[in-house]
Amino acid sequence: MKLGLGLIAGLLAISAAPVSLAAQQDIATRLAGRVPPDVAALVQQLAADAAARGLPMDPLIQKAIEGSAKGVPAERVATAVRTVAGQLDAAAAALRDGGLVPTDTAAIAAGAFALNAGLNDRNLTDLTRASRPPYSVATTLRVASTLAAMGVPAAQVVELVTQVIAAGEPAESVVNLPAQVQARVSHGQGMTPAQAAAGLARAAAARANPPGQNKPKPPHP
Amino acid sequence: MTDFHPDVKRLLDGEVSLADLPSELRAEGEEALRLVAAAADWARTPVTLSPALDARVMAAVRSRAAAPSLWRRLTEPREVRLRLRPWILAPALAAAAVLALLLVRPAPSPVASATVTVRFVLFAPDAQQVALAGTFNQWDVAATPLVRSNAPGVWTATLTLPAGQHEYAFVVDGARWVPDPAAPAVDDGFGRRNSVLTL
Repeated sequence: MKLGLGLIAGLLAISAAPVSLAAQQDIATRLAGRVPPDVAALVQQLAADAAARGLPMDPLIQKAIEGSAKGVPAERVATAVRTVAGQLDAAAAALRDGGLVPTDTAAIAAGAFALNAGLNDRNLTDLTRASRPPYSVATTLRVASTLAAMGVPAAQVVELVTQVIAAGEPAESVVNLPAQVQARVSHGQGMTPAQAAAGLARAAAARANPPGQNKPKPPHP
Repeated sequence: MTDFHPDVKRLLDGEVSLADLPSELRAEGEEALRLVAAAADWARTPVTLSPALDARVMAAVRSRAAAPSLWRRLTEPREVRLRLRPWILAPALAAAAVLALLLVRPAPSPVASATVTVRFVLFAPDAQQVALAGTFNQWDVAATPLVRSNAPGVWTATLTLPAGQHEYAFVVDGARWVPDPAAPAVDDGFGRRNSVLTL
């Protein structure tokens, strides 16, 4: 009887663990033959820690595989994986400050990528606050990081995306922003991505606040 | 059974009086009235039942009221009446529909989300082989080779990718990692650049 209770307790402990045995096996399978054993062990540990904090594990696995595929020495791969782990932590904190429930791992992964693309914690928080339904935080952050990767300064990225959302435009309009910036750069004579983004932001602001339409005054106390 | 004359029947029905009957029918009419009165008197006579009958009936009732055995309760034929009411039928149908949906609902497919077909192009006139590696193929340099197009030096590959954000790079001749010149790029953490594709 005692053995039975012990077995049940063990099974419960395993089932309650942050990373299940099946998940650990899955990670090991993905890393097997792709990364050196010491890097694989590090990724397993970081993935377990990430899962315990509600963070996504896939970016850690991807970075380790990427580094090894590119022939990068194990030490540098380990450093890069640790950097990604730190970005995931920072992104989760920034998104929490913006009011996002910490279970949205897709948004956290997008936030970590946005940090790598050049946005900062405050940018992430501002974009999260602006991205209320029907706008998806993950999509907004992916668009923002793409704009940053195109060369649009972070502050202008936030301005453009928040203006489009404030104008109440469809969610697809946010997704199409990188293409719109690219189109302006391609067709404008000597226009930079920053200038293109600034022009789109001004247009969105004009749609959000049409001329002659007074903003409602705050009520008197 | 006595078959009275039709006029006598009318007398019994109260449609005519005895004086209205022809003289030859009055005797028959009087007889008919006497029989009806006698029948009425008989019907009004109280019935006195025997005390023994009362005792037998109550004994039978008590024996039926006594708790039957379990076997008898299980095997005793019963009359079951089903009364179908619309306001009970509707929730029952709804519950059946939900159950059916749960039983036949297909498992969520990993490719159920939106996918986008993308064409990758690289101009590499001196390359012997070009491949595509990225987050969408686990950075496998052998998974997605590009093919030469009709235009000299142009390599292409067309992929269907899930909506989301992808990092990738071209791998030229199996060793040289080249970012896509037509796409934005970010630091890969290893001193190189990864191209970014947002779908």
